[in-house]
Amino acid sequence: MAKATIIPFGPQHPVLPEPLHLDLVVDDEKVVEAVPQIGFVHRGLEKLTETRDYNQFIYVAERICGICAFGHSMGYAETIESLMGVQIPERAEYIRVILHELSRVHSHILWMGLAADAFGYESLFMHCWRLRERVLDVFEMTTGGRVIFSDVCVGGVNRDLTPEMQRKMLDTLNGLKDEYGTLCKAFLNDTSVRSRLVGVGVISQESAFAQGMVGPFARASNVNNDVRCYGNGAYGKLSDFQPVLDTDGDCYARVKVRALEVLQSIDIIEELLKTMPDGDIAVKVKGSPAPGAQATNTLEQPRGECFYYAKSNGTKYLERMRMRTPTSMNLAGMATALAGCQLADVNMIVLTIDPCISCTER
Amino acid sequence: MPLEHKFIDFTLDDITRVKEEKLADGWRAVQVLCTNCDDGIEILYSYTKGNVMENYIVHGVTKQDTVPSITDAFIGMFPFENEAHDLFGVNVEGIAIDFAGKFYDLAQPEPMTIISPEKKAARDKAAKVAAAKKAAAQEKVETAAPSVEQQRADFEAKIANLDPEKQAKMRAAFEAKLAKQAKEGE
Repeated sequence: MAKATIIPFGPQHPVLPEPLHLDLVVDDEKVVEAVPQIGFVHRGLEKLTETRDYNQFIYVAERICGICAFGHSMGYAETIESLMGVQIPERAEYIRVILHELSRVHSHILWMGLAADAFGYESLFMHCWRLRERVLDVFEMTTGGRVIFSDVCVGGVNRDLTPEMQRKMLDTLNGLKDEYGTLCKAFLNDTSVRSRLVGVGVISQESAFAQGMVGPFARASNVNNDVRCYGNGAYGKLSDFQPVLDTDGDCYARVKVRALEVLQSIDIIEELLKTMPDGDIAVKVKGSPAPGAQATNTLEQPRGECFYYAKSNGTKYLERMRMRTPTSMNLAGMATALAGCQLADVNMIVLTIDPCISCTER
Repeated sequence: MPLEHKFIDFTLDDITRVKEEKLADGWRAVQVLCTNCDDGIEILYSYTKGNVMENYIVHGVTKQDTVPSITDAFIGMFPFENEAHDLFGVNVEGIAIDFAGKFYDLAQPEPMTIISPEKKAARDKAAKVAAAKKAAAQEKVETAAPSVEQQRADFEAKIANLDPEKQAKMRAAFEAKLAKQAKEGE
């Protein structure tokens, strides 16, 4: 029997642009155990609530992650609104969900490009990122930003979606859908892609549930932790919402779930744009939350369920703010998926979890 | 159906019992978080099942207390328990993947327990506001409006040294004021 060796993987690695370190215990080419470690870029953002009031902190919240920026500002604002008992206008709820789903589209397409690059399909990577640019163009047109949007405020949103913007958004998404369909065929039907992904890094449904996995990572193992099902905000106005699930639990299933979620998000945006009511886009929020008040909130980010908690001390500065991001819940699942895999599959398995360490290290 | 959030106080001794109950009932652990409070660290455990999220809170945990880990049942909680140890100095015992204080590479040990000048100012202000509100409420009780007879007696004492003509004018004005107050009171 060969001697067990520990191979360090990351935090700097050519195929994983995330500061994640793994100690891979290998026996020949087989990974026996993987121990993840983060902590290289911790920024202490949660402590910043001491020096930023609850209105200012929204700009910190959306800087937690460059990909989930809109979602973090939305989740944070919803938590503060819950803390202060604020009901936002219905139109603002629609605008928030539309832009949040658009974030999911760009996040998933970005990830699919990275995955394609990791399994050596560079032209697919370039096509994915080309499509993503068009989504970012829509963001620029509607919010003025491509990465950081500053569109959400406590009490609603800062900018309305004009009829002209809505028309352009629909045109872009319709065009995107056709081209994206072609890309999906490559991801889901190409023989070389399938041979690289099918049966790799399998996690059973029981194991996924036991480890508390969230997001597409869990849904690929047939565990429905999609908090959009609760119907918060404009999600409750959808005629029907069924999460995308798969039963295989392997890398291919994770790609498939994300690929289909892009189409689902486009459908959600189209439906909400058609039914969006007229009216105000924000209400004024004054004063401070009551002392000792606390509130929790969950939001389905592109990578999975994100948990928010806020506690007030009676001033405009929060006593505590917490964002538990999806990747921190998926670290244990990642270690499980890696145990028993081939060394060459490590990068593929880690990528299909779509880890975001900057989210995790607030 | 919207997600229902509940907050429940419990104690250090209940952590293991609640963990076992939740595991047996098919709940999912969502997160563990700490808050640095005046009376020690507050630890909040969130569990969810269906459309209910229960948040269990332990108050006043000190660095001398030993907090049992829940990672033997919910392995996904290991980052949060390591975080509680590294950032708040909470002594968590039995973490399944224990980094023994090396989870975060910190320049300052237990940074979240440091009360910054801003936080101290916010807390002082909150305490002052609470004290002022309490004092105002107390004063309101103590200085409740005296009876009409008492007001009349006080008024008569006040105008006793004035000339009778002025006294009559002031008395008429005072009676009109009392009548207006009585009408508003109804």
